[in-house]
Amino acid sequence: MTPILDMAGISVTFPGVKALDKAMLTVLPGEVHGLVGENGAGKSTLIKVLAGVYAPDEGVVSLGDEKHISTLTPNLVHTAGVRFIHQELHLVPHFTVAESVFMGQEISGRFGLDKSTMNARTEDFLRETLNADISPRTLIRDLGTAERKLVQISRALIDGRATLVVFDEPTAPLASDEVDRLFAAIGGLKSKGIAMIYVSHYLREITHISDRVTVLRNGKAVKVFNEVSDQITDPMISAMVGREIAEMFPKKENTSNKKLFEARELSGMGFSQVNFDVAAGEVLGIAGLVGSGREELIDTIYGLLPVTSGSMTLKAEAYNPKRPAKAVKAGVALVPRDRRHDGLVLDQPVIDNINLASLEEVSTVLMEKRGVAKNRAEAMANQLDLRPRNVTMIPRLLSGGNQQKVVLGRWLAKGGDLFILDEPTVGVDVGAKVEIYALIRELAAQGSAVIVSSGDPLELLGLSDRIMVLQRGFLAASHDAKDVNVDSLVALTTGGSSGAIE
Amino acid sequence: MIAIQFVRKLLEWVPVAVFALMFIFLGIEAPTLFTPFTIDLMLKQAVPTVVVSLGLAVVIITGGDDVVSGGIDLSIPAAAIIAAAIIADQVTNHGTALPIALAFALLAAITVGALNAFLVVMIRMTPLLATLASSVAVVGITKMITQSKRINVTDPFIVFLRDGTVIGLSAGVVAAGLLTLIYWFLMHQTRWGMQAQATGGGREAADISGISTKRYQAISFLLAAFTGFLASMFVLARGSGSSPGTEENLLLEMVLATFLGAAFSPRRKVTVWGAALGAVLVAMLSVGFKSIGVNVFWTGCIKGALILIVVASAAATTRGRY
Repeated sequence: MTPILDMAGISVTFPGVKALDKAMLTVLPGEVHGLVGENGAGKSTLIKVLAGVYAPDEGVVSLGDEKHISTLTPNLVHTAGVRFIHQELHLVPHFTVAESVFMGQEISGRFGLDKSTMNARTEDFLRETLNADISPRTLIRDLGTAERKLVQISRALIDGRATLVVFDEPTAPLASDEVDRLFAAIGGLKSKGIAMIYVSHYLREITHISDRVTVLRNGKAVKVFNEVSDQITDPMISAMVGREIAEMFPKKENTSNKKLFEARELSGMGFSQVNFDVAAGEVLGIAGLVGSGREELIDTIYGLLPVTSGSMTLKAEAYNPKRPAKAVKAGVALVPRDRRHDGLVLDQPVIDNINLASLEEVSTVLMEKRGVAKNRAEAMANQLDLRPRNVTMIPRLLSGGNQQKVVLGRWLAKGGDLFILDEPTVGVDVGAKVEIYALIRELAAQGSAVIVSSGDPLELLGLSDRIMVLQRGFLAASHDAKDVNVDSLVALTTGGSSGAIE
Repeated sequence: MIAIQFVRKLLEWVPVAVFALMFIFLGIEAPTLFTPFTIDLMLKQAVPTVVVSLGLAVVIITGGDDVVSGGIDLSIPAAAIIAAAIIADQVTNHGTALPIALAFALLAAITVGALNAFLVVMIRMTPLLATLASSVAVVGITKMITQSKRINVTDPFIVFLRDGTVIGLSAGVVAAGLLTLIYWFLMHQTRWGMQAQATGGGREAADISGISTKRYQAISFLLAAFTGFLASMFVLARGSGSSPGTEENLLLEMVLATFLGAAFSPRRKVTVWGAALGAVLVAMLSVGFKSIGVNVFWTGCIKGALILIVVASAAATTRGRY
């Protein structure tokens, strides 16, 4: 069979990074092709090459009958029938479903907009192709997330000329029953003979809906699975990570049993009646989808959001910070999820960023002790293996992994009793991840309690001693990490003991 | 969460409720207010505000309704009065023929619009600041033209706009009605309008749908300036000439009318017809207060408070993740 898309030997270089290294991807007509890989493996770069956003340094892209297209442009790709369903919805809240579907491609009659035709075509498309019953006159703001996703898909496909649809993490914001609606829609598209590329972190979804799977690692297509079943999950993970999973994560040595932080019947914005505790030397993982209350819980412990009921205890004393400054004073440290905005002063040199939380130790009343500060920062840079090891550089110019190391370094310099890490390795390459994991375990080994909130099941499993799962604001489960695996953890987060898919 | 949504729904109705209460109050205090004669008077009074409000509606629809970062054009009244001043000065002081005077005025108004478009789209200034600055500058130039003096205009066309009638209705009112219809059709019934709405509703969403959002925003400022030019004729008609200080009240009423219109629209969004309706209601209030003898300064104070209520309720209902 002639492939509908054949990308061969694609290389893309960004300043200092080889994002794609002779990567390949072949999609056959009418198939759902899974594309997996860790963050930074090159998935989005490959997709952007296909979209005509990045021009590859070398390689050939063949689309359908058009062979050897070396210079793709967004227009050319669109004309060839390739459509992209981005992760972000990009919808206008006060538009109706039909207005959103026809945005930019409105149908106009002699007397202005032909609203009835647009409504009718939207309704037909949703019902017949996506198996969904949504009124075209509903406002987007009155729809659920899955329905909005379907509207987004309709917009891309309403012209009926799509031959290949690329889904980028389509289920990320969806709850379990909503995932089924999306899959019903994908089933509808497949029955119309449309080929799809499905990019997702949820391996269970990949094995459920894909016909074939390509695994990317470090910019290379390391493995293609031509037969897909539940059995390939583990080989898929090994191919993604590039080593046995156990090797990525440091040894867990938890000896202490002294409870350091406790939450009792804790309720706040977005979560309620959550009970848990963390011991000194322990790493507690928090799992949960977007909207599960995971972010809000973290923010509440750090004093960014108010407690509405229940109580917290830190070192056997009642704890209710109300403001982050008080949390820091009590010995709590937050490594925020958006380190660029919340975690770093991007244009101040690394030296200042590292010393920011412990200024009182490097300064007298009026004067900063620059020498002391510099020595501390340099020692820290060595310990963190910061690259480049230059403490006068400004963080804006560092890679994501190294930026994160600077934030971690600040709290290592300061010390603390309770560390909260929110998505600590988002946008960080695999090598730096391993170093960050080692640092996190190091924090625990020094006798601190660590809470890691993450959307990456593998990370939670490898790093945590215990994992608690939040679902729609409630504590759904709490397990020793050794009692769960990636599949059961994904199942627990997405709801239902057997997961979303069955 | 349900409680929050309920409060939000309630807040949406605050402006409508406040206006309803005021009209009930006026109806009781001055029962003669709602006779055909006074209604016609009030509509005539409303015409300049209706016209500039159409322009502001276009800018807000295309730029988004966030009061700070969205689209706003505070310079439309300034464009209107500089155009009015030019027409009055040319016709009365220099004896220029009206069409030529109008051409000069149009050029001046469009220049203001182009300046705004340049500042906002190319320089990327906040519309609020850019148009405030151009407004202040334009008002200054206007004072130089008129030397801060009143200039009477007795041109027959302008007088016709004031006193003439078309099928039994005031010519000015008919003209403003037609204009509302044209702007409504453009913004709500054409592809161009839908894409302008998309630009204001979600810049990124519009961009990835292949809509050239910059062009839409630039054109919105030109369309707004054009309403400023059109309004200049009605300003001259209403005041029988150009008089200094007209822009202040026009600005106040325009902002109030346009945001008030959003409270009446089903989607709670600024619309063309909403802005026109808002302008009529605001003019009725002004006339109403005057007729029951409320001090002019109080009227200004009340309008200011109303703007706060309307804009604050709009902000409160759209605000916040939590």
